[in-house]
Amino acid sequence: MCVHAITLHRTPNAMNRVVKALLRRHQTITGYVLVLPALIYMLFFVGYPIIDNFRLSLLDVNVMNVSHGEQPYVGLQNYRDLFEEGILVTSIVNTMIYTAACIVLQFIIGLAFALLFSKSFRFAQRLRGFIMISWLLPATITAMMYKFMFSGDGVVNELMTQLHLGSHVDWLVTPVPAMITLIIANTWIGIPFNMILLTTGLTTIPKDIYESASIDGANALQKFVRLTLPLLKPAIYSLLVLGFIYTFKVFELVLIATHGGPVNATQMMSTYAYKLSFELFKFSHGAAAANVMFVILFMVGVLYLWMVRREEVSSS
Amino acid sequence: MRKMAAGLIMAALVTGLVGCGSSDKNDNGSTETASKTDSSTAAATDSTAKTDTAEKTKLTLWFYFEGKERFDKIKALTDGYTAQNPNVEIEPVFIPFADFKKKLSVGLAASDLPDIVVIDNPDTAAYAAMGLFADITDKVNAWPDKDQFFPGPWSSTILDGKQYAIPLGSNNLALFYNEKMLSDAGVTPPTTWDELRTTAKALTKDGVTGLGIAAPGNEEGTFQFLPWLLSAGAAFDQVGGAEGAKAYGFLADLVKDGSMSKDVINWTQADVMKQFASGKIAMMINGPWQLPELATNAPDLKYGIALVPKDKQFSSVLGGENLGIVNGKHVDEAVDFAMYVESPEVLKNFAQGFGYFPARKDVAADPYWADNEQLKVFADNMNYAQPRGPHPKWPEISNALSEALDKTLLGSGSAEDNAKEAQAKIDKILGK
Repeated sequence: MCVHAITLHRTPNAMNRVVKALLRRHQTITGYVLVLPALIYMLFFVGYPIIDNFRLSLLDVNVMNVSHGEQPYVGLQNYRDLFEEGILVTSIVNTMIYTAACIVLQFIIGLAFALLFSKSFRFAQRLRGFIMISWLLPATITAMMYKFMFSGDGVVNELMTQLHLGSHVDWLVTPVPAMITLIIANTWIGIPFNMILLTTGLTTIPKDIYESASIDGANALQKFVRLTLPLLKPAIYSLLVLGFIYTFKVFELVLIATHGGPVNATQMMSTYAYKLSFELFKFSHGAAAANVMFVILFMVGVLYLWMVRREEVSSS
Repeated sequence: MRKMAAGLIMAALVTGLVGCGSSDKNDNGSTETASKTDSSTAAATDSTAKTDTAEKTKLTLWFYFEGKERFDKIKALTDGYTAQNPNVEIEPVFIPFADFKKKLSVGLAASDLPDIVVIDNPDTAAYAAMGLFADITDKVNAWPDKDQFFPGPWSSTILDGKQYAIPLGSNNLALFYNEKMLSDAGVTPPTTWDELRTTAKALTKDGVTGLGIAAPGNEEGTFQFLPWLLSAGAAFDQVGGAEGAKAYGFLADLVKDGSMSKDVINWTQADVMKQFASGKIAMMINGPWQLPELATNAPDLKYGIALVPKDKQFSSVLGGENLGIVNGKHVDEAVDFAMYVESPEVLKNFAQGFGYFPARKDVAADPYWADNEQLKVFADNMNYAQPRGPHPKWPEISNALSEALDKTLLGSGSAEDNAKEAQAKIDKILGK
């Protein structure tokens, strides 16, 4: 819609503009009618919980008054409590570090795999299918698997000792290694997702561009930097945003592998909100923590839309 | 080269997957069998229901004990009750522990609740405060058996003078030791903290660590920490002093000595049991519910059981569950069922099969517990096993206690500072 508005704006002929505007109004009404069902659905199942959660975060609802009794309005006190206590800030920082590290690693490895499997060699198709398995596995299973592998006497420590790669590391119970373990686990999960989206992106790039680049004397690196990457841009954008959202709201993996520990060293925003609401029964604080997370994700979503629009405008 | 690299990656992925595939299968297997027995027995009762056309009152019971065996034992209780009271049918529903509290809280908001809940004793007060449970004070006062209960479990069912639940069964913690490892090292079971420290050190060698406990940052960690805290002379709401710091410091010293693995902060009590069963730890702190598990996992293992070593006094903490009576349409039937479960004959059979210690003195005096070398320790413990709380904000208090424990075990901050920090948090929770 916005793209149309802009092209309209650029039309020099005034007469033309009026006709188009009339047409557009008619189309607009039809358009609104068509989106109405989706709109109602969104209001009920997305809008209502968001608003209600916001309301909850402004009250003081805890074990004593969740089902009966007065639920006093406390304004932004819950948010103030959370920021004063400090674990929310820790969890925001943790989530950011985790998300950034996962996205970078997943993207690089996923791109490498996508490029590898875009070459036709024996078993390429089948291997690509196999790699998808880590994406298809339930996160709970993956979490248990990694918890097992990275435990004190697990296979990772065993391998490290056998191969003389270093001394014994208490992976899951030392703050930094625990975070590294989670990043490795999530990267493993996310690689196939990145690979598939990038493979799809690669197939949309016409082969003859590369041919003409070769004739012009471009080497492999030049072709990659000047052709592949720019032409993959739309795929990369959506990949990064989807990846960010998926990674940011990580839950089961952390809950099972480390439970946010040791001592909040891997506490994420989602696990912290869960802990507040369902382990400590501080429902309003939990809602407040979830809202902070919502705001961050919302901003990322807006940023994505803005980037996509700018991209479409510049290419139209 | 590329093909080889891809092959290597594949090999890594596949080996990774084999492990998880099998565990996945196991999980499915157990739930499948559980649901199968459920449906088959349900079908059986359905057909009997058709013959006597009288209308049946249907109740639901939620519990979190894993495995088919335990499901069957709960099912035996509900079936036994229906046999005596043909008009009431109680359906047991398994809900995983990880989901249990969430389901209850959400169910409370959505008014979608069972009639009876098997609830961890320290959580009883919190849910009573939330309004989940019915006030059954009058009904229980009219029950002659009420004086038979141990004071610890009984007090965990009361909040502000009102009764909300009936104890289902109890347990507490003791020290398990591997007899062979102790005799090989020429040491005897420790009874004091000092002895424990030297014994654990002597037992730590050849890939074996001296002691294992479960110290995760949750209720399980608090449960296992409290005996040490109480033994030092502190209490859950008085941890900031020298006694509290000593308890935290002592466990941290065991980690520093290498006599206890740092991994304990990620171990559940089931993990600790497996470590002990496989001979990776020489001693562990655990409860009587592990006895059947040990018999299955390590039938040849010779082990002894002793009281948790003491600082000032022997201490234990009360574990076990209550039958919470949900505030709803079927309070009368639910209370009646709870009283049936706790009637001496039913309780005796159930508690034996479940690895529970009975919460009733008259049943606990049965030779099965009183004359058994191993179980006697837990029986002695029952006399001074202290309940956790009871306090509606126990989960928050517990969180402060276990967080301080993990911090100290990891060596971040001194035991004194962490104990003081926990005290400050607890004071705030208690509104001091």
